[in-house]
Amino acid sequence: MHQVKAANSSQEPSLLEYDVVVIGAGLGGLSAALKLAAEGAKVLLLEQHNLPGGFATSFVRGRFEFEVSLHELSDVGPPDNKGAVRRFLEDEVGVQVEFLPVPEAYHLILPEAGLNIKIPFGVEPFIETIAGAVPGSREPLARYMEVCREVSRALSFIGRSGGKPDPAVLLERYPAFVTTAGYTVAEVTAKFGLPEKALQMIYPYWSYMGVPVSRMSFTLFAVMLYSYISKGAYIPRFTSHGLAAAMDASIRELGGETCYNTRVSKILVEGGKVVAVETEGGEHIKARAVVANLSPHLVYGRLVHPREAVPERAARLLNARRVGTSALVVYLGLDATPEALNLDSYGYFIGPSMDTEQAYANFCRFEPPQMQAVICLNRANPECSPPGTTILSATSLVGPEAWREVRPEQYYDVKNQMAGAMVRQLEEYLNAPIRDHIEEIEVAAPQTFARYTGAYKGVIYGYEQDPWDSIVARSMATGSERLIKGLEFAGGFAFMGHGYAPSIISGRAAALAVLHHLGGSAGREA
Amino acid sequence: MEINGMEQDLARMMELTSLRAQKIEAAPATLDLSDPVQELVQRLHPEKITLRLEAIKDETSDTRTYRFTAAEGSGLPFFRAGQYLSVKMEVEGKRVARPYSISSAPSDWPGFLELTVRRKAGGFVSEQIWRQWQAGSLVEASGPHGNFYFEPLRDSRQIVAIAGGSGVTPFRSMIREIAAGKLDLELLLLYGSRLADEIIFAKELEALAAKAPQKIRVEHVISEPAAGWDGLKGFIDAALIREYAGELSGKSFFVCGPPEMYRFLQEQFAQLGLPRRQIRWELAGAVQDITAEPGYPAGARGRIFQLHLRRRGAEYTVPAAAEESILTALERAGLAPDSQCRSGECGFCRSLLTAGEVYVRPESDGRRAADRRLGFIHPCASYPLSDLSLTTP
Repeated sequence: MHQVKAANSSQEPSLLEYDVVVIGAGLGGLSAALKLAAEGAKVLLLEQHNLPGGFATSFVRGRFEFEVSLHELSDVGPPDNKGAVRRFLEDEVGVQVEFLPVPEAYHLILPEAGLNIKIPFGVEPFIETIAGAVPGSREPLARYMEVCREVSRALSFIGRSGGKPDPAVLLERYPAFVTTAGYTVAEVTAKFGLPEKALQMIYPYWSYMGVPVSRMSFTLFAVMLYSYISKGAYIPRFTSHGLAAAMDASIRELGGETCYNTRVSKILVEGGKVVAVETEGGEHIKARAVVANLSPHLVYGRLVHPREAVPERAARLLNARRVGTSALVVYLGLDATPEALNLDSYGYFIGPSMDTEQAYANFCRFEPPQMQAVICLNRANPECSPPGTTILSATSLVGPEAWREVRPEQYYDVKNQMAGAMVRQLEEYLNAPIRDHIEEIEVAAPQTFARYTGAYKGVIYGYEQDPWDSIVARSMATGSERLIKGLEFAGGFAFMGHGYAPSIISGRAAALAVLHHLGGSAGREA
Repeated sequence: MEINGMEQDLARMMELTSLRAQKIEAAPATLDLSDPVQELVQRLHPEKITLRLEAIKDETSDTRTYRFTAAEGSGLPFFRAGQYLSVKMEVEGKRVARPYSISSAPSDWPGFLELTVRRKAGGFVSEQIWRQWQAGSLVEASGPHGNFYFEPLRDSRQIVAIAGGSGVTPFRSMIREIAAGKLDLELLLLYGSRLADEIIFAKELEALAAKAPQKIRVEHVISEPAAGWDGLKGFIDAALIREYAGELSGKSFFVCGPPEMYRFLQEQFAQLGLPRRQIRWELAGAVQDITAEPGYPAGARGRIFQLHLRRRGAEYTVPAAAEESILTALERAGLAPDSQCRSGECGFCRSLLTAGEVYVRPESDGRRAADRRLGFIHPCASYPLSDLSLTTP
């Protein structure tokens, strides 16, 4: 980054010139910078924090290193049957990361429904297990999974077609995609006649999206469910910080530049086109394109300069959308083995019931959690903590609005009360003597995430995907919603939505769109 | 698979676009950017804190308490008893940062906030604080930082606090909070000092204990007592802990003092059979003599190495003595990255070592596993063993 130094020593700012500036080193920004660097573009990645990864990070307390946000990565697949994420990282941009498989889909514990069952990966075992527990569900569930498969394949087809699929082919080959794309999860699922108990066993992944099934786009749910169940899930061996740090290193190896502790204050726009960015330190960096790995709310609301360059449509679009939720996470370093703690699974979904409406309403209140997603890291990575210890984390979705009335002096009490309710529920539902073994504990609230990542409202999820704002509707609107030339979005707020795999894929997609904007080979001139 | 018949299903999909357009048209044209979460963050962890020094109190011959209020346009951040601020200063034209525990209590907030500083002879920063800080001075800081506070899900409400020297400062915060009825703990403070004259807050601690005798007890232990000292003598060891703390199971131990005390106490706790989860250690800071560490390799002692630094694209070469942390060497050169804990824990000064060897005490190695593999170090807890090439943020 000698150019930035040059600006400090008052040389001509015009020396600071890149094809593309990527703002934010979350997974979307890292992926975009990787792809751009690999394609020969002159790229600069700027990040306000001192670490790469955004939410994909870890922290150390005592003898434990805690995974901050990753539960399980989809679309990795085994080395001999690579998914999109592994193909991108290993084959396209040469990032070396060791992945470990997650042992089962989830362990579901819903005491009010009388459910305590481990659900395996693999479409057949998934159907078998649920059918074994719920008589009469085998046939409808098999049909349901077939529809999910077809929807997933359709989305891959749309991706391969560059977002412009031939409608006739789509209808002929993937009719289930077309017939379900306009509906919610609840609307589609109701047609299968699945018993209530089977629905409870199918729905847990809803909490990875944070929208109740009455509103969530069926396409989104189908793709997520089918991806996890059919391809399994993975975690990086050295936490998601290991993934992010490896991506950061590869960007530099590919000739890209990364610069941390550097906050962008402006995206300069002239004639409807991105021309430069400005940092808080006053550096003026010319760029023909910007990939923004942050919320469009912050980009249009704070960064785009001059303000008149923000089209009115941007404000209306963002006001129409619903910003996703945040979370409260309790990280526990325990001085007993998983066996001694009765933790025999990697991922649990626990709560009184699987009422997604009630759980969603609960996001905005400080009440005992309706649903916790719990990870016992040692069950996928036995070496993640010293012998005789366990790393356990529990996540409960909490919305930003709940915090409006909380004063600074109340904050820690509010957080601790929530954490206490979560730990008590864990102990009760998992029959795990947790409080006797807490060696390290940290509680992250939306404020914690906001503080380190700068995330708008501290949200961990992107815009909610109701059918009208689903990946399908967003794809159909892409052209009309590219409001400033040379400005692309990556990460959880981009068109694919949040999550590790979607963020990585969206970063790659943003890079491709930018390369297109720069005019194919233009990037290679540098 | 049809949901409501092919015709209607197709229409539903095609309507997504018009439905989207309607939603957008109907939405207000002025962007709503309200953000209750970031608003609270700005109050809890302001980007920059500017403190106004109100008053200075001499505690001992070499220790002073500085009382601050918020400077105009700044706020005092709320904190938990036991946390610290990272004070940012210019010393001889070089920007440095030092962690100081907040010695006042959260219940003193938002009225004032206090830092208590012991002057170290030859101390790069404390000497300057001593000289320069006066009523009306403006002091820049970040924070609150640190994890040395009572955590209700983990810790017992019966606390044994062990302080060495100026390590008493976070406990003064906790004890004031208990006395104010805001923290429901029983706390026994075992406070080790070299001389009785060096005890910080002696009278205040006595008064607070007298105010809430069921909650607060203070025992002083003097290692080099003058004639006439009739209190406890020697070091805070296993026997003393057992005698004064009574039953140990079900109690939480909080320790704050110099690294040399930590090593001694670790042995004592091992004798007492205390599991790690019952013991909290505050940041140790740097050891007095890194070359005396058990694992320190022979041969580097006394040497001065060349440190080749890349910092935001510019390159520098500075001398780095084996006895000083790399962060200290960078501070002397006026090239240090911002830091917080100076104990290897927080990772704020994380930098990439591209060539050369460093020594890191295992107890101060707070690096992430991937960082260790990729060659990152925390300069505040890393000591040069050869010439080095380093890239700082």
